[in-house]
Amino acid sequence: MSKGQPFIGIVQGDACGIGPELLPKLLQGLEENEKNRVLVISDRRVLEAGCVVSGLEISCKALHERAAIDPHCGEIQLLDVPCLDPAGIVPGTVSADAGRAVLETFGLAIDLAKAGTVDGICFMPFNKAAMHLAGIGVEDELTWAKARLGVTSRASEFNVIDGMWNARVTSHVPLKDVAGRLTIELIVEAIVLADQTLKRAGYANPRIAVAALNPHAGDGGAIGKEEIDTIAPAVEKAALQEIEVHGPFPSDTLYLKVRDGQYDCALSMYHDQGQIAIKLLGFDQGVSVLGGLPVPITTPAHGTAFDIVGTNTANVRAARNAFRMVVAMAQGRAHRHA
Amino acid sequence: MAERRPETSAPIVLTTGEPAGIGPDLVVQLLQQPLPGSFCVVTDPTLLLERARAIGLDLEEVEGGVAGPGGHLGVVPVLLRAPCSPGRLDTANAGHVLEMLTHAVEGCLAGRYTAMVTGPVQKSLINDAGHVFTGHTEFIAERCGIEQPVMMLATDAMRVALVTCHLPLAEVAVSITQETLAAVLRIVAHDMSRWFGFNAPVLGVCGLNPHAGESGHLGTEEIEVIDPVISKLRSEGLELVGPLPADTAFTARQLADLDVVVAMYHDQGLPVIKHHGFGEVVNITLGLPIVRTSVDHGTALDLAGSGRAEVSSLRAAIRMAERMTRGI
Repeated sequence: MSKGQPFIGIVQGDACGIGPELLPKLLQGLEENEKNRVLVISDRRVLEAGCVVSGLEISCKALHERAAIDPHCGEIQLLDVPCLDPAGIVPGTVSADAGRAVLETFGLAIDLAKAGTVDGICFMPFNKAAMHLAGIGVEDELTWAKARLGVTSRASEFNVIDGMWNARVTSHVPLKDVAGRLTIELIVEAIVLADQTLKRAGYANPRIAVAALNPHAGDGGAIGKEEIDTIAPAVEKAALQEIEVHGPFPSDTLYLKVRDGQYDCALSMYHDQGQIAIKLLGFDQGVSVLGGLPVPITTPAHGTAFDIVGTNTANVRAARNAFRMVVAMAQGRAHRHA
Repeated sequence: MAERRPETSAPIVLTTGEPAGIGPDLVVQLLQQPLPGSFCVVTDPTLLLERARAIGLDLEEVEGGVAGPGGHLGVVPVLLRAPCSPGRLDTANAGHVLEMLTHAVEGCLAGRYTAMVTGPVQKSLINDAGHVFTGHTEFIAERCGIEQPVMMLATDAMRVALVTCHLPLAEVAVSITQETLAAVLRIVAHDMSRWFGFNAPVLGVCGLNPHAGESGHLGTEEIEVIDPVISKLRSEGLELVGPLPADTAFTARQLADLDVVVAMYHDQGLPVIKHHGFGEVVNITLGLPIVRTSVDHGTALDLAGSGRAEVSSLRAAIRMAERMTRGI
């Protein structure tokens, strides 16, 4: 089901972070056939500020309205969204203005995807605090994108490193509430979403390993009963839907199985169970995928890195991997080196 | 504080743990190579000889112990209660396992041994035999008259201590109080000085919640429990860093500034060190008047008698015990 080079929208990210300086690095490193199929959605002045920091010049065709977008124009296109003058912000700080610019450019990208103009979106790092100051009104960009796209079914963030995928059943939940949130239905939903998302990324038959909740996977019920009462039944139920899923596995062996290639995706029960492992296995190269949406959306897993903004030391590798991932997902083929 | 250090001329004592598991195999396998230090073993010598035969390795009975190509090893006999086949559990031998442990603890307390290194036991079997046994750590602590032992895992490069250990995840948050946390941090700081030679050890303290609670948005235990304890203990002179979001506490950049990481629960700390440790992770009990280290793996019943057991963790546990008795 491989298609030609998809048309990808690249969103500027929080202008107080390293997004603007990553943009030119990312664009310069693209192949010619990729450059022809890229639409940067940014305030021109933000991109220019990034070019100054990175010492790069990017030649692109600036557009001032959606109607001018030509998916086959033969060079990088910039949809210039006049939303933020970088002279008015302080790099490395949380800014409501920068947050508003993020919502405006990201929202535009989502609308373009909804209209079928772009086939996928890759965004440079956002800052959650800035988006909250700007009035995002929901927990995070995933929830926001979901609402804008009219999605009501489960959506979830996936982390990907070197062909290892990770998804979570619960995410930003206090630890004491995690066990109470887990139900058979919720875990089955998460398994099904993982299966669908990896299939979209080109895995014909994704192999999913499900984490236990308790130490030693509960040790036969001696250290917690959730494995017996909830997780194992969910795994069985999902397996009936012809999904290749196994578990629950204790945390300390789960990620070794994925690392060693026995499984493609780990499904963790709570935030830190997955995040600790994911960061150990190659934090700065990681990609986040917003799964469960009708359009592929990816971003580098790292944040805005306020401490190094403007120093031209930001590593573009994760952004490049995020771009490659969204291309692969838009084409429906596996990208194993995210 | 003046604390008695055992006579360094005394040996380290090993216990072989569950006889049907790989504990006896590991001792036999150790004896095939030059021995990693001065130690003796408390076990049934017949068990070692039989296991060596099963694996097909050289071992012979000598005066006071056994000998293999790697050297001579003193054996303190604690006999099996029933014959033992590799991989076959028998509750009759639970008494054998507990007697070895009791002998080792008492010997350490009396100064006859400098440290004890334990092989893996089968908890369920000891309980099935009618003894209340929640684990090595608790058993040894009780015999030393200690209420709150602390489990730490260590490699040469990294140390992780746990505030809670074998608890259901649902009970973790509620069981961490200011009192228990303060006690654990004091023990870790004290023992890092006593057994590992740090003058002013730097302890990294993990948060409990995602992003260490993110100012209370993702949980309040950091604000209500962890922060106040850190402030109090800092005022007593402890070097504490935290609460650290657990997913960044173990990055190389963060670890470079820490001598030990204190994790709030089992799966916050263990997967990391196992990932780093490559089979050389040692389990250490802190808060005891004696040195106790252990392998970090289980009885591996399916490998007993096969010769395929991996001896690196036991070797590391002996090296670690020896290092601790020298206080470096």
